[in-house]
Amino acid sequence: MAEGRRPTALGRWEVWRRRLWPERALPLSPWLLLLPALLLTSSLAAALVVIGESSLHLLDRATFRLGEAYSLGNYAELLQRPVYLRIIGRTALAAAIVTAITVALAIPYGYLMVRTAGAGLRKLLLIGLFLPFFLGQVIRAYGWLIVLGKHGLLNAGLTGLGLPDVALIYTYPGVLIGLVQYMLPFAVLLLAPAFTAIPEELELASMSLGGRAWPTFWHIVLPLAKPGWIAAGVVVFTLTMTDFAMPEMMGGGGNDFIANAIYDGFFQLSDAGLGSALAIVLTALGTLAVAVVFTAIGVGTLGYIQSGSAGAAR
Amino acid sequence: MMRQPAARVVIWAIVLFDLLFLALPTAVIVVASFTAGNVIAFPPEGLSLRWYHALLGERAFSAALWRSVWVAIVCTAVSLPAGTLAAIALARYRIRHATAIQIYLLLPFIVPLIVSGLGLMLIFGWLRWLGQLWPVGLAACIINLPFMIWAVAASVNNLDPELGNAAANCGAPPLAAFFTVTLPAVTPGVITGGLLMFILALNEFIVSLLLVDARIVTLPVLMYNSIRAIITPDLAALSVVYIVIALVSIWLLDRLVGLEIFLKSK
Repeated sequence: MAEGRRPTALGRWEVWRRRLWPERALPLSPWLLLLPALLLTSSLAAALVVIGESSLHLLDRATFRLGEAYSLGNYAELLQRPVYLRIIGRTALAAAIVTAITVALAIPYGYLMVRTAGAGLRKLLLIGLFLPFFLGQVIRAYGWLIVLGKHGLLNAGLTGLGLPDVALIYTYPGVLIGLVQYMLPFAVLLLAPAFTAIPEELELASMSLGGRAWPTFWHIVLPLAKPGWIAAGVVVFTLTMTDFAMPEMMGGGGNDFIANAIYDGFFQLSDAGLGSALAIVLTALGTLAVAVVFTAIGVGTLGYIQSGSAGAAR
Repeated sequence: MMRQPAARVVIWAIVLFDLLFLALPTAVIVVASFTAGNVIAFPPEGLSLRWYHALLGERAFSAALWRSVWVAIVCTAVSLPAGTLAAIALARYRIRHATAIQIYLLLPFIVPLIVSGLGLMLIFGWLRWLGQLWPVGLAACIINLPFMIWAVAASVNNLDPELGNAAANCGAPPLAAFFTVTLPAVTPGVITGGLLMFILALNEFIVSLLLVDARIVTLPVLMYNSIRAIITPDLAALSVVYIVIALVSIWLLDRLVGLEIFLKSK
């Protein structure tokens, strides 16, 4: 049909496409597109297998290498040593506290950011969110060390006011403060799309029917924003549960989380088997928490694609 | 709700607290970096640029900065095609087991970072890849890939599926439709995702800590190693470099796609 016409660049590509990827292969196209991402992700599946395998070998104290025989001894040791149960409890408690505080602080921020009529205010709130979001945990922990340190900003201010010093640095509350600040941008960014999806008319209708602000928020906004706060809660919970940097830098060695204990298992005790067993326990706890929430309430705004939207009518 | 005075006061009070809380560590770092004293103290002992000057003379810092930039480039270069193609596949095609694949692709967020890092350390060691920088970039890509897929998927979801069909009806062969219709439509998502991946890799800490040795420390690892009981201002000046990079990225993101893209509902 198009004979005699000079092939365009795309036309030449198309010729190659037909040779390498003939019509009958076209149904496989989505799999070809998915292949690089699946391969990259599979390295983590492999990582889990490797860690799981090494958790089944006991440390040979003579050679300080893992023995050949398979055993569940590392898991038994975790259960027997109260220090590990204490660390797991401390981590889970932190995850619960940080999640509750962070989501509570994030809801008004996300709500105002979405609902405000002022474009300037919205921009300010977005920048206020992205600046810390784009800074890693090491820098933020360093900033907090300056604020909360013995001679830091907080204590300088308290002394100036004639008040006694507070010791937050290298304490559990100090770690929690650092974590809440680290998690807040994640929570707001996951909440905001959920608020956007709520038609403002619904709120106005409730208010014009005599509903007051608090009941409107509690019975209309919060239930409709459920996908947002589920996603925010799950992400904040799991990120806190698995955090390494904040307890490491702000905990002063006495407030280790599970991730720190895993690291120490590998590099201080040189017991990769015990460290791996704890790593598997952490992965299982995190996955369990996510699975319970997802099966009970759904994936919220976490899914890559809107539920039922792929190729379907919208 | 914003019309009722009491509700307004509560919302504003929390938001102002949030803004202060979010900005506090960044603000004190900037102030501390300009101190003239040998230690960080409040109020600062005068203003000076001496710690920035000291930074320029410290080869270890600039070397680590360039290593981190290289890691970020590798990470972005791998994630751009991998994440974009995967997002298009998930959002544009009906795939069998699509839910299972979505969950599998969320694996980087399900596996704790410390576990991913240790596992990759063992695998890379077995492959004899350790001691080089590019595997650190590859690892940063692996652990953050869902961010890239999300960013692009949001754009694809906003794209009218009929556009692709229209192109096909007009006789466009599949590749032509892909390059002229689908890819331009997802460009905002690709830019957003690419920038996110770059920034995340530049700041990546725990996995780098496990994958680098003393010769090839990246900047966050170097900073972590340098933070001791006495907090000296040279690290504050170094952190300001990161703050400037973050500000430039935010400006770029706002200019290219608009920060408001993050408020859109999927």
